[in-house]
Amino acid sequence: MNEASSYFEKKSDVILGKLLKEVENQTANSIEILRESSARKGTAHIVGITGPPGSGKSTLVNKLCKTLAKSGIEIGIVAVDPTSPFTKGALLGDRTRMQELSGLSNVFIKSLATRGNLGGLAPTTADIVQVLDAYGKELIIIETVGVGQIEFDVLEIADTVVLVNVPGLGDSLQTLKAGIMEIADIYVVNQADRPGADESVRDLKMMVREKLQENWEQPVLKTIATNNEGMIELIDQIQRHKEFLLHSNRWDEKRKTRNLTRLNHLMIQSLNNEVDSYIRRKQGIQIKIQQVKEGKLDPYTLSDHIVEQLIKKHGGM
Amino acid sequence: MQIKVVMAKLGLDIHWRGALVVSRMLRDEGMEVVYLGNQFPEQIVEAAIQEGADVIGLSTLGGNHLTLGPKVVKLAREKGVDALVIMGGVIPEDDIPLLKEAGIAEVFGPETKVESIATFIREHVGKTIG
Amino acid sequence: MTKTNVNQGAKLFNQEVVREIEAQKERWKKETVKGKTGDGEYFSDSGIPVNLLYTPDDIKELNYMKDIGLSGEAPYVRGVYPNMYRGRLFTVRQIAGYGTPEDTNDRFKFLLKNGATGTSVVLDLPTIRGYDSDDPEAEGHVGAAGVAIDSLEDIEALYDGIPIDEISSNIVTHLPSTTVVIMAMFAAMAEKKGIPFEKLSGTNQNDFLMETAIGSSLEVLPPKASFRLQCDAIEFASKNLPRWNPVSYNGYNLREAGTDAVAEVACALANAIATSEELIRRGNKIDDFAKRLSFFWNLYNDFFEEIAKCRASRVVYQEIMKERFKAEEMKSQLMRFHVQTAGITLTKVEPLNNIARSAIQGLAAVLGGAQSLHVDSYDEAYSAPTEESALISIRTQQIIQTETNVVNTVDPLAGSYFVEYLTKEMAQRIRDYISEIESRGGLVACVDSGWLHREIADFAYQTQKDIENGTRKIVGLNYFPSEEHAGQKVEVFRYPETAEAKQKEKLKRLRQKRDAKKVEEKLNVIREMCHKDVNLMPYIKDAVLEYATLGEIEEVFREEFGLWQFPLA
Ligand code: B12
Ligand SMILES: Nc1nc2c(ncn2[C@@H]2O[C@H](COP(=O)(O)OP(=O)(O)OP(=O)(O)O)[C@@H](O)[C@H]2O)c(=O)[nH]1
Ligand SMILES: [Mg+2]
Repeated sequence: MNEASSYFEKKSDVILGKLLKEVENQTANSIEILRESSARKGTAHIVGITGPPGSGKSTLVNKLCKTLAKSGIEIGIVAVDPTSPFTKGALLGDRTRMQELSGLSNVFIKSLATRGNLGGLAPTTADIVQVLDAYGKELIIIETVGVGQIEFDVLEIADTVVLVNVPGLGDSLQTLKAGIMEIADIYVVNQADRPGADESVRDLKMMVREKLQENWEQPVLKTIATNNEGMIELIDQIQRHKEFLLHSNRWDEKRKTRNLTRLNHLMIQSLNNEVDSYIRRKQGIQIKIQQVKEGKLDPYTLSDHIVEQLIKKHGGM
Repeated sequence: MQIKVVMAKLGLDIHWRGALVVSRMLRDEGMEVVYLGNQFPEQIVEAAIQEGADVIGLSTLGGNHLTLGPKVVKLAREKGVDALVIMGGVIPEDDIPLLKEAGIAEVFGPETKVESIATFIREHVGKTIG
Repeated sequence: MTKTNVNQGAKLFNQEVVREIEAQKERWKKETVKGKTGDGEYFSDSGIPVNLLYTPDDIKELNYMKDIGLSGEAPYVRGVYPNMYRGRLFTVRQIAGYGTPEDTNDRFKFLLKNGATGTSVVLDLPTIRGYDSDDPEAEGHVGAAGVAIDSLEDIEALYDGIPIDEISSNIVTHLPSTTVVIMAMFAAMAEKKGIPFEKLSGTNQNDFLMETAIGSSLEVLPPKASFRLQCDAIEFASKNLPRWNPVSYNGYNLREAGTDAVAEVACALANAIATSEELIRRGNKIDDFAKRLSFFWNLYNDFFEEIAKCRASRVVYQEIMKERFKAEEMKSQLMRFHVQTAGITLTKVEPLNNIARSAIQGLAAVLGGAQSLHVDSYDEAYSAPTEESALISIRTQQIIQTETNVVNTVDPLAGSYFVEYLTKEMAQRIRDYISEIESRGGLVACVDSGWLHREIADFAYQTQKDIENGTRKIVGLNYFPSEEHAGQKVEVFRYPETAEAKQKEKLKRLRQKRDAKKVEEKLNVIREMCHKDVNLMPYIKDAVLEYATLGEIEEVFREEFGLWQFPLA
């Protein structure tokens, strides 16, 4: 598909929308689009916004981008909401909170459903971000699903992770402590108009002191997203973190790591596909799998056998 | 393929009950529904473009179906969006032919089973002539 | 003997008789019914278990004078006035509102000529949501679904030739932000006409839930701001408009959006509690304002439950006002309410059936002791009522008033074991729901956190599922549906399409002829006062007298208070 490259030249929201749709649905065309975007991916600053459900992530993104957009910077937003495990459907509501961004030509919002992924993002989030990046977005904001403590995916993708919390963390701070709480680069106590904001800020600051990152003291900010309060400070901190990354080489490191991670993912995915299609073609193997299922054959032997066969098929290692 | 629906309350109409019920039930039917809340045609089409919508759902019980509904289709087609546009709410029988002529694929009134909306979508999605 | 001498221990029934009945009932269950009572399997609409048979033992703990009493006395179960409908019939009130103020003025006159005893107006969506007719957001909505009001001029045209000092005017403003402006215009109109404020009687909806949870819109004020405006209007009226009901706590709309009867009443009462606390904080006394608080209920088809709800709501309210807020005056403790029959229960299929539904609901309202009534029209699911369907609604009310004789005696269902049981049960469930709201920080917090919105959305979703799978039966739809009659031809009401152009033209002229500098000045005062702990009403009235428009004033609110969206559940 040669058109893929020409699509990237044209730069229109309509085309970008179509490219992202292919990628989101992992169509046959999407590989070409991703190959092309991989070569073009640029310099976007990728910011992850994460935090418990209802903490105000979307509202915050709305206000943040409303202010940022005024400078003319190209912004891409990827908003992820959960897929129902039972019906495979999803109700994506982040956009209702971002109404103030509609009509802005330099803001592009894409909503994604997790489609079975458990890490707080959609399976194609990294791909979508890559395409947005390649399309010239300078700032890409990812809003994760409302997280508990196991959703770490955003760490792999984002340069800067902002954790949005609400006053009265108390117990939840304890449960979160071991998880996502520790890894953010910037902490926000949103809904600071509610009681207990100062206590939460204090608690967070104490926690941060125990977990200081190398050369980066994670700031703890208070915001009231609904009233647009604290946005300038947050923007400053996000910018400051970007500069820190750039100056400390972490920026490049992160990108290099991501390139490798991407390679790993792709290899594992291809191998998986390869194994699947191999099994599907081999009746004999299917019978053996059945035997493993029944407990009549041990899985180790069969697994070794299948991999051996596969390697042989491809002419050995 | 996953079907993605962009659902909007048209203009200033305040009746969200039907739109929300339909959105939740289309989710139960396995679709991905991006709920926009209240929006005007330009913003609805903008969202449909960005989201890669297969379906644009317009809900109105506020009497603005003729003034705003056709605008959505017109803008969408101008921008090369070929999503299926459907509408629901309180809409007089006599207005339905006008809406269809304007390119709205189907109009669903009160008491429609959401199941039948889902069936309609599955049968017609991707077949819009742009 | 005075009422306070009531013997607190005196039960409705002799406890010995009750024990005898209990014993007999056990026997009867075994021998006569043979165990097949079905108890625990039947439920009222809001989920109260309903038994096969009710007898005195089901209400054995009731003390007649304390728990039921006499009409016009606490706890007002039997009605708020001693001679109820013999004293004054319920007001026949039919909603009107479409096109320009001049168009609606014509409909007012038609309804009054045909026996309506008050006016009731609905506003178009731009007006309700605070946009002028020439605002881009208003395009395609002007004069549709209600009448367009932009400035004091329009209010003057709307009530032209209507004796506002003699009959009451209901203005369905819904939102506090709309209420403060429209109420200010109404007062300004009276001021200009030289009608003393004491003569104005009427009602505004004025419920912050409508602004922030029940209806959706593009730009919504935050709950706190909307609640403050709600209280400003109430406080202003309590000081200046002694016969005006500055609030009608809108259980109705909440129920239409999606709740059961319990939550309907509980949320409205929780709002009255929140209002009272706020007005007391501002230095008012409960007896200064409580007598003008009024309520708005929605009556479904569950006949007895709805009647019980009306009775129960009066008891709980009396309790709150008396025990919690220490209201002393009787008028501060009695709950007056308007009823509208339930639009949401009316079907598109076989629309004429709706006449029967509405009549049953209207009858329940009267048996429940409503002060005024609107009966929905059979074409509810089609369009705003036509002249013909509106007339049937008035006729329905008149039939209840005159031909049924139900108005001849007070609270005729009192003493029914079942109705008294349900009343007691409803009251308890309403109290529990209020406690739940309070445990979540009160009503404003419940809206702010999205809790209430989720309650509504979940209910609406469940209802739709129940209808689709047939557990909730609706005649003609999923119960004996009939192909033949489903599509009875209904003439639909068309909103005049000329309203937008006319209103725009009027606005253009207005903006030319008024004193722009003065308008700007008055708007700036409002802007400043938004951030002070003061009542905004006087400043809004000043602005509308200079012909500041509704949209201009509300833009100030939007800018100063900021915007909010309820969470999508
Ligand atoms: C409930 C209701 C309300 C509630 C809304 C609560 C809410 N959150 O939604 C309340 C009480 C708040 C309300 C207020 C008003 N209402 Co109202 N309301 C109704 C009522 C009784 C039922 C609507 C409803 O929710 N039905 C249940 C849902 C599930 O059904 P539905 O919305 O029709 O949805 C179904 C289909 O239409 C379809 N569908 C709906 N949307 C979509 C979208 C897509 C994409 C698809 C495929 C299908 C689809 O599928 C659904 C499932 O079957 C109707 C009359 C009626 N019976 O229809 C009047 C009605 C819609 N209201 C009306 C009016 C005028 C108003 C007001 C504007 C009056 C006023 N001026 O004050 C106010 C609004 C005030 C304000 N603040 O803005 C008029 C509209 C007239 C018109 N358009 O010509 C109606 C028709 C009543 C009448 N006859 O006058 N209302
Ligand atoms: N009082 C107050 N409410 C806020 C604030 N920020 C957001 N909210 C409200 O909190 C609710 C949830 O906000 P969202 O932005 O949807 O939260 P979210 O974290 O994106 O939620 P999910 O995507 O569902 O996890 C909304 O009703 C917001 O209006 C704030 O600073 N103060
Ligand atoms: Mg969100």
